[in-house]
Amino acid sequence: MHLTDEQLNEYLDNETNEREQIELHLHSCNECNARFSDLQNLFLELDSLPDLQLTRDLSTRFATKGQLTLQLPHWLTLTVFAQAALALIALIISIPFITTYIPQIDVASLTSPLFEIQSLWNTWLDSLSTLQLPTIPELPIPVLEMSSLLLALAGIFVIWIFGNGLLLRNQIR
Amino acid sequence: MNAPTDRDLILRAKRGDAEAYSEIVTRHQTGVFNVCYRILHNRNDAEDLTQETFMRAYNRLNTFDIEREFAPWIKRVAANLCLNHIESQKVTLELDDERDEDKSANPSQQVEVKERSEQIRQALSSLPANYRLVVELRHYQEMSYDEIANELKIPLSDVKSHLFRARKLLAEKLYAPD
Ligand SMILES: [Zn+2]
Repeated sequence: MHLTDEQLNEYLDNETNEREQIELHLHSCNECNARFSDLQNLFLELDSLPDLQLTRDLSTRFATKGQLTLQLPHWLTLTVFAQAALALIALIISIPFITTYIPQIDVASLTSPLFEIQSLWNTWLDSLSTLQLPTIPELPIPVLEMSSLLLALAGIFVIWIFGNGLLLRNQIR
Repeated sequence: MNAPTDRDLILRAKRGDAEAYSEIVTRHQTGVFNVCYRILHNRNDAEDLTQETFMRAYNRLNTFDIEREFAPWIKRVAANLCLNHIESQKVTLELDDERDEDKSANPSQQVEVKERSEQIRQALSSLPANYRLVVELRHYQEMSYDEIANELKIPLSDVKSHLFRARKLLAEKLYAPD
């Protein structure tokens, strides 16, 4: 029985545990020995294939920091959009809230320039809430407690800081 | 002064040192390019995929075990990217095969003109893509049958049959008396 192609291949790949039997046969059989030599020759030719050279040096593209920002996981990049959405919601919620609470603050104790700024601010907010956002008064704003609003704003603030910290991390290093 | 080792450079690159990573690219780009070329047999694609490989590798540096050799790891990343590339191109490749093959001259002229290494490349390029991949992983990345099976997610029997048939085809191309 001659050696099979599989046996010869496995022998040269070091993937056989019948090495001794194969070697024994190769010593005694010229036909198999010739096939073995051809295959061995192919291995040598493949293994000595010289490297081709690149036509351009790719390393220059990596030399500047701008090209190399560590990619954040996908869910983290989504925090940017989450932040924007939450900020918008916070803004919409807080406008009527501010316009109802701020006039209740005892402004008499404030200095006059601050008072002027605040009244300008209030006028602006008033006009913004009434003119630009006519649907806002229909929201259940009065139900919201001061504390729950503050909590919500604090939560958004934390997400904001967290997200920015992650996004800025690469630029800082 | 000794040149920094790959390990030093990778540690620096992990801390965001672009220059260190650029040096890594300088050292390994030829090796990676040749992996891509042996699999794709198209210079443009191979150069693009080489660049892509280093981009991906940079983003995955934290998964690289610093105690191991960098070259085998990056070559594996490259082989995987080429595999994905082939799979995404499968349909177009069959319709419009743009591998670097000189189809203009007649075969006997080619054999005379070309260097032996060119003949080997030509023989490699004539193999089906999945055979080329197995040859690449076995001969150039020195992976075992089991490792190749794991890498390509194919049965061990397929690894062997692809590899042995690839060698038979190569031998026919390279040693057949015209
Ligand atoms: Zn025999």
